[in-house]
Amino acid sequence: MPTDADILTLTQWLSPAYPVGGFAYSHGLEAAIDAGAVTGSQDTEAWISDALEHGSGWNDALFLVSAYNALDQDDLIAIDAKARAICASSERKMETELLGQAFGTITGDVWDLDIRKYAYPVSVGHAAHLQGLPVLLTTKMYLQAFASSLVACATRLVPLGQTDSQRLIRDLTPLCAQIAEKAQMAGLEELSSTAFLTDIASMKHETQYSRIFRT
Amino acid sequence: MSTKQLGHRTVLDTLRQSGSLKCLFPRSPTPDLDAVLLNTAGGVTGGDSFRFSGKAAEGTALTLTTQACERAYKAQPDACGRIINHLTVEGQARLNWLPQETILFNGSALNRRLGIDMARTAEVLMVEPLIFGRTAMGETLTDIRLRDRIEIRCEGTPVFLDAIRFSGDWHGHLSRPHIANGAGAMALIVFASQSAEGHLDPIREMLPEAAGATLIQNDVLVIRVLAANSLILRRTLMPVLRRLNKDTLPRCWML
Repeated sequence: MPTDADILTLTQWLSPAYPVGGFAYSHGLEAAIDAGAVTGSQDTEAWISDALEHGSGWNDALFLVSAYNALDQDDLIAIDAKARAICASSERKMETELLGQAFGTITGDVWDLDIRKYAYPVSVGHAAHLQGLPVLLTTKMYLQAFASSLVACATRLVPLGQTDSQRLIRDLTPLCAQIAEKAQMAGLEELSSTAFLTDIASMKHETQYSRIFRT
Repeated sequence: MSTKQLGHRTVLDTLRQSGSLKCLFPRSPTPDLDAVLLNTAGGVTGGDSFRFSGKAAEGTALTLTTQACERAYKAQPDACGRIINHLTVEGQARLNWLPQETILFNGSALNRRLGIDMARTAEVLMVEPLIFGRTAMGETLTDIRLRDRIEIRCEGTPVFLDAIRFSGDWHGHLSRPHIANGAGAMALIVFASQSAEGHLDPIREMLPEAAGATLIQNDVLVIRVLAANSLILRRTLMPVLRRLNKDTLPRCWML
C-alpha cells in the first residue's frame, strides 16, 4: 500500500505547479479544436479518452512501467529510444523530450537523484523507482495529470466552463486508473497507437497559423 | 535475398525461396534492381507463416514490391497468420519497400512485423497501405485481430516505431470521430534520407485533409494518410511516392 509520504511526493511531482511546463503543450488538441473537430465538452471527452486509451496515454503507461522495472542503464536507454521513436510527430517528440528533461532536472536537483535526459514517462518511471514509490499509483497519477492538462487546454480554447472541466476530469479518472492497471502486466510488445486522427492533428499543429500551445 | 554491385548496376547476389512466397525480377529500365514478391497462395490465413528477409548491400539500389494486393482471409478463432519482413540497408544503399495494399477481411487474424535496419548513410522509402474490408462488397470489419508493427533502426538505434494491436470491432473503432472518422483505408509512408527535410513542405501541400506529414528526426519524414477507400488512398499515395522516388514507381503501382 502507498504510504502518505508516497502519495504526497507523487502529488508534488504530478501537480500542474511542478515546474515542467506541462501547461504549454496540447498534444495536438489545439489543432483539433482549430479544425472544428472538437467544439464542446462531449467532443473534448471523446478526444482525450481516445488519446488516453488508444494513443499516447496507453503507450506512456507502458514506458513508465518499463522504465520503473528497467534492469540497468542500458535497458533504460533502450526504453527511452523507443519512447522517442514512437512519437507521432516532431512536436509530440519535442513535448515528451522537454517535459522529461525538465522533470529530470528539477527532480534530480531536489531529491538528489541522478536522472539523465529521458522522455517524460521514462523520466517519471525511473524517478519513481529510485524513490521507491509505488508504480501503479505513479502510473495512475501520471495519466490523470496528462488528462487534466488536456482538459485545461480545452477549457481555454473550446472554451469550457470550470464546472464542465472538473466534471470531465472526474469522468476521465476511472479510465486513467483502468489503463494504469492494465499496463502493469504489459510490456513494450503491447505498444499500440490507433488514435490516428489525434496523431494527424499533432502533425497539422506544426503548421497551424495561430496558436497558443507549443504542440 | 541480397544484392551486390556489378559495375554501376545492382544485381542479385543471393536468393533462396521456398513454400508459397516467390520472388520475380522484371527487367529494370534503370541500373537498380527491381524485385516483385508473389504469394502464390493468394493470401494469408490462420496458421500461415510468411517470412522475407532482404538486404541491399553497400552502394546498391533495390526496389521491392508485390505482384498483387495481399489478402488477410478469415481465420479460425485460435489461429493467426504471421508475416515477418526484415530489411537490411547498408551504407550508401537505397531500398524502396513499396508493397501494394494489404486487404483485411472480416474475421481475419494477422500478426505482421516489418523491421528495417539501416546504416547512417543509407536511404529507405517505405509504404504500408492497409484496406479495411472488401468495400465493393460492403464488407465491414466487425471482428478482427490485428497486430502490426514497424520498427526502423539506424545503426541499431530505433528511429521510427509504429504499432497497432487491436482485437474486436475495428469498424466501430474506426468510426469514432477522433480515431479515423469512418476511414476505409490508411497508409503510412516513411522516408529516411538525408534529403528528407526538403520534401516536408511540398508534400504537406499534396496531402488531403485527413493526412499529415512530419519530420520525426532530422532525416526521417513520416506521412500518415486516411482515406475513404483504396482508390482514393492510391490517388494520394502515387504522387507522394513518385516525388520521394525520383519520379518513378513500380509498374504494378500504375492505376
